[in-house]
Amino acid sequence: MRPRLLLAAMAAACLGAGTLLAQDAPRLRGPEPFTREQPAPPMQRAITNDVRVRRNYPDQPPLIPHAIEGYALDLNANKCMSCHARRFTEQSQAPMISVTHYQDREGNTLGGLAPRRYACLSCHVPQTEARPLVENRFTDMDALAEPERQTGNRGGR
Amino acid sequence: MTLSRRDLLKAEAAAAAAMAASIILPAEAQNVARGEELRLKWDKAPCRFCGTGCGVMVGVKDGRVVATHGDMRAEVNRGLNCVKGYFLSKIMYGADRLTRPLMRMRGGRFDKDGELTPVTWDQAFDTMAAHWKRVLREKGPEAVGMFGSGQWTMFEGYAASKLMRAGFRSNNLDPNARHCMASAAVTFIRTFGSDEPMGCYDDFEHADAFVLWGSNMAEMHPILWTRITDRRLSADHVRIHTLSTYEHRTTDLSDAGLVFRPGTDLAILNYIANHIIQSGAVNRDFVQKHVNFRLANTDIGYGLRPDHTLEVRAQHANDAAVSQPADFDAYAKLVGEYTLDRAHEISGVPKPQLEALARLYADPKAKVMSLWTMGFNQHVRGVWANHMVYNIHLLTGKISEPGNGPFSLTGQPSACGTAREVGCFSHRLPADMQVTNPDHRKVMEEIWKLPPGLLPGKVGFHAVQQDRMLKDGKLNAYWIMCNNNLQTAPNTSNETYPGYRNPANLIVCSDPYPTVTAMAADIVLPTAMWVEKEGAYGNAERRTQFWHELVQAPGEARSDLWQVMEFSRRFTTDEVWPAEMLAKAPEYRGKTLYEVLFRNGQVDRFPLSDIAPGYANHESKAFGFYVQKGIWEEYIRCGNGHGHDYAPFDTYHEVRGLRWPVVDGKETRWRYREGYDPYVEKGAGLQFYGNPDKRANIMGAPYEPPAETPDRDFDLWLVTGRVLEHWHSGSMTLRVPELYRAFPGAVLFMHPEDAQARDLRRGQEVRIVSRRGEIRSRVETRGRNHMPRGVVFVPFFDASQLINKVTLDATDPISKQTDYKKCAVKVVAAVDRPVVTPASAPDPRAGLR
Amino acid sequence: MSGAERASSPAGGGAEAPRRRGPIARLWHWFRALPLVRVATRPATSFSLAFLTLGGFVAGVAFWGGFNTALEATNRTEFCIGCHEMRSNVYQELQGTVHFTNRSGVRAGCPDCHVPHNWTDKIARKMQASKEVWGHIFGTIATREDFLAMRRPMAEREWARMAANDSLECRNCHSAQSMDLSRQNPRAAAAHERFLFSGERTCIDCHKGIAHRLPDMSNVPGWH
Repeated sequence: MRPRLLLAAMAAACLGAGTLLAQDAPRLRGPEPFTREQPAPPMQRAITNDVRVRRNYPDQPPLIPHAIEGYALDLNANKCMSCHARRFTEQSQAPMISVTHYQDREGNTLGGLAPRRYACLSCHVPQTEARPLVENRFTDMDALAEPERQTGNRGGR
Repeated sequence: MTLSRRDLLKAEAAAAAAMAASIILPAEAQNVARGEELRLKWDKAPCRFCGTGCGVMVGVKDGRVVATHGDMRAEVNRGLNCVKGYFLSKIMYGADRLTRPLMRMRGGRFDKDGELTPVTWDQAFDTMAAHWKRVLREKGPEAVGMFGSGQWTMFEGYAASKLMRAGFRSNNLDPNARHCMASAAVTFIRTFGSDEPMGCYDDFEHADAFVLWGSNMAEMHPILWTRITDRRLSADHVRIHTLSTYEHRTTDLSDAGLVFRPGTDLAILNYIANHIIQSGAVNRDFVQKHVNFRLANTDIGYGLRPDHTLEVRAQHANDAAVSQPADFDAYAKLVGEYTLDRAHEISGVPKPQLEALARLYADPKAKVMSLWTMGFNQHVRGVWANHMVYNIHLLTGKISEPGNGPFSLTGQPSACGTAREVGCFSHRLPADMQVTNPDHRKVMEEIWKLPPGLLPGKVGFHAVQQDRMLKDGKLNAYWIMCNNNLQTAPNTSNETYPGYRNPANLIVCSDPYPTVTAMAADIVLPTAMWVEKEGAYGNAERRTQFWHELVQAPGEARSDLWQVMEFSRRFTTDEVWPAEMLAKAPEYRGKTLYEVLFRNGQVDRFPLSDIAPGYANHESKAFGFYVQKGIWEEYIRCGNGHGHDYAPFDTYHEVRGLRWPVVDGKETRWRYREGYDPYVEKGAGLQFYGNPDKRANIMGAPYEPPAETPDRDFDLWLVTGRVLEHWHSGSMTLRVPELYRAFPGAVLFMHPEDAQARDLRRGQEVRIVSRRGEIRSRVETRGRNHMPRGVVFVPFFDASQLINKVTLDATDPISKQTDYKKCAVKVVAAVDRPVVTPASAPDPRAGLR
Repeated sequence: MSGAERASSPAGGGAEAPRRRGPIARLWHWFRALPLVRVATRPATSFSLAFLTLGGFVAGVAFWGGFNTALEATNRTEFCIGCHEMRSNVYQELQGTVHFTNRSGVRAGCPDCHVPHNWTDKIARKMQASKEVWGHIFGTIATREDFLAMRRPMAEREWARMAANDSLECRNCHSAQSMDLSRQNPRAAAAHERFLFSGERTCIDCHKGIAHRLPDMSNVPGWH
């Protein structure tokens, strides 16, 4: 109907805001026009390279850099803990669960994983190879503290 | 991802040090920053996402949010956040933030068929105001409308409600919360005479058993789920029963997962009531003292358009909400039909599971907490489902005490605070007051200092009705704020989009990002979000939480509060109020709505100097007074002294939220229970004081089937909903790379044998087709959800897979809430037929991919 | 036996019966009296040795073929999931795993992992399986709850069997010799190098619950 509208609108939306990656704009904004049928892109493959991803700030839970497909996380078993529990980390060479995970709701330190932390996947998620839909201009605090050392600092600060 | 320059520098520094250990490195080469440059400014705020209301600490440096983490001092979450919460710091920084108003223009003028073009706020508001005035003049208040949000701050909802009801004299204001928890809100009033739960989150640490009715808390309320799993894994006797139409992460951690056929929860609920009666587990004393019995009208239709066959055929489509007084015996007779055999036959749940659940409720020693969200609420018999769970708790007296009680969860951060308490529904005023009640309108006219008789008494258009009226050309001026309704409304191709494109209508959308809705609107207004403004949210346990403006919104983006107030400046009372009303109250003549509504000597009472030092407040700066404080102090007069008391404004900036009613500075954890709730009379023990006789209503109703059931042509049930990583339509979470990459697109969850029967396999592209429309998706036979045969699930966050083109716009006839959980579809392989485009015109997006 | 006797005594207890015989004895006599049986039990007088040998061979082939066909027929996933216990429990779980669907479309069905491939072990396993048939006939696992209650002992049996045969059924497809560590992710490669190739562990020690959900894992080594 109006094939150029999206372009125009995107250009407008970006005025004074820089460039847009948006290789997959329909996923954010829908088809243009609305009634147009949209093919479904292929499902994305999981990233399983075991390479740790930098956190955006220290309190953030680390992302999972390996496959977790089929891992048990139910009342019977918690597969995550068979590598990340303190006593298994030597043989698994996996990072130990954070010390915060030993604290219960009252702040008492327990002898093992606190039950409130049992559902690992509420906070820790794996990643796929999907390319971000749009750039995110969040600024790492390191970039503010020592801007001259940052490469990913597009804001020109 | 790859080696950053920082890593390189580190390595270089280390190498240099190793090579020449004696050389002292200059300070700037050290990779440890110190002192002042590391200091962050930390402030509290509630999370922007679901209705849990987790407390978050927000770290700000140089005017930007650089970190967020769970607030250790917040009672709700005590330091925990879910994965969305941990990425909150990034939701405001998507590169495609809207920074200027946009308007469809052609030849330098507004044109509905033109292209979205940057304009000034004045151009946008002037165009809007001209259209609003013309519509009001030609067609009256019923032709203007606003679709608001349970994500609005309480101040924003209050200002919008005032502008719509008192300014434009229209009740065509509804929140997206209509799609979300109207069934719960309506049933609280029908049962207890007062909205919102009697209990609170403290119940989690006291209950012996949790029963989840159609709720996947592990994904949708992860932090409340940590409190339940904490309790389950810490105390051996605790049990979790989860009822659902498929298995998911919550059933994984439940002792029993009961998978029932869509819509048949009603039969299970009535069977449990019947079991309680038959086994002598009724708490006679409680029932005698605190309960009335009523029987609901039956055969009440499905909230479709009135000319739909199902509505014409229904006996009580027009008086669905009516019920008749009854007694225990009549109720017992009604539920008596729901034997174990019958419940099993209807629901398909194995009998031992049903019996175990019924016995749990009947056990006088077991403290049971029932929880539900969209499974109950998005249900063509959602009000009945809510009633039925109250029935069970009322029959056994398991209510309003620590660990015992029915608890309605919410999906939006201020569904309770803004949509319900402030009163943004088309039938509601603040503090449980109703627009149809002349006494309530009078109270509001007095508090709002309006001429008597100004407020309209007719219930406005509810959400689904608004879409229908836009399409039919009866609603012509429409402002959508803080929601993405073209993605989230039901049956959008047929019932929503046509109204947006109707040439008679002006569609305005306020949003921080270019959403599906914004892209289809005529005017798009850039909005300040979350901590870019001062706000207040009310969570599911009646907890009101405030936050300060912490960072500046980008470009010309302004909060919804500013937008509503600024827009009100463009109207005078002479333009929008009837002449005869002004003749009786001449002192209002010639004043702008802004003056009448917001410079009324109350809202503008507090000076800018009252703003806590160190915090900006862009609305207050614009208008010259402390807007939020003025609104709050006027608003709390509506409910103070009537069971809806709040603390004074400044208190909330100090505390981690308080649960209303807040009387003498003390919050209320269990309403209606003496010792906890100051409104209960001494010696009464328990009083459901929302109702005049201080009793709650047990409402008898039967099982009735859904509006659409799979048949030979459309042979699968479609259930829609959310996933953990994305929130609602994904406009915030899709722009956070980590969340996007964790769950990058919608998929069709399907049983492997259903896939095999259709010669489909995991990953294959398919069409999901209903009688309304179709979309394409990909088959998922593994992963977090385990579908039973005959049921498929598709999340709705993905704008490239608009599943609501497929859903049915059937609603609960009483609450008017949409049923997104039940319609019939078929799934077929997507034969790759080329999209029809003119051969000469290449796809403009090709270069963007 | 005793029930049959008691049931027969009123009918057979008449005064006209001069010589009382038990029902089995009567059946035996009737069988022996059949003409075909009489011929069959007499030594061959009119058939050549060659004919008998050949005939015996053909009959043997027919029998062995039939036996093997039956063996193979019962060695298919379709046979296994003919029983609802298998179909509605373990098979449902298998369908969500990589052993059921994967990149190249190779599928491991029930017998691939649960029936030994060499003959004697296979026959031994088949004889064990009669217990499962017994369980099916008598409804040992009639409901999901019954299955869940039995999951731990059943899983333990399989773990023990695979630990004892050095995860033979895994190795029928996944040979340690055939692994290309450069194609494994580093975490897996390191674990295989340290524990599998050294013989310190066998497959099942680490790869439990890969085709079905796990039972309660309390006190299982390597689990919390």
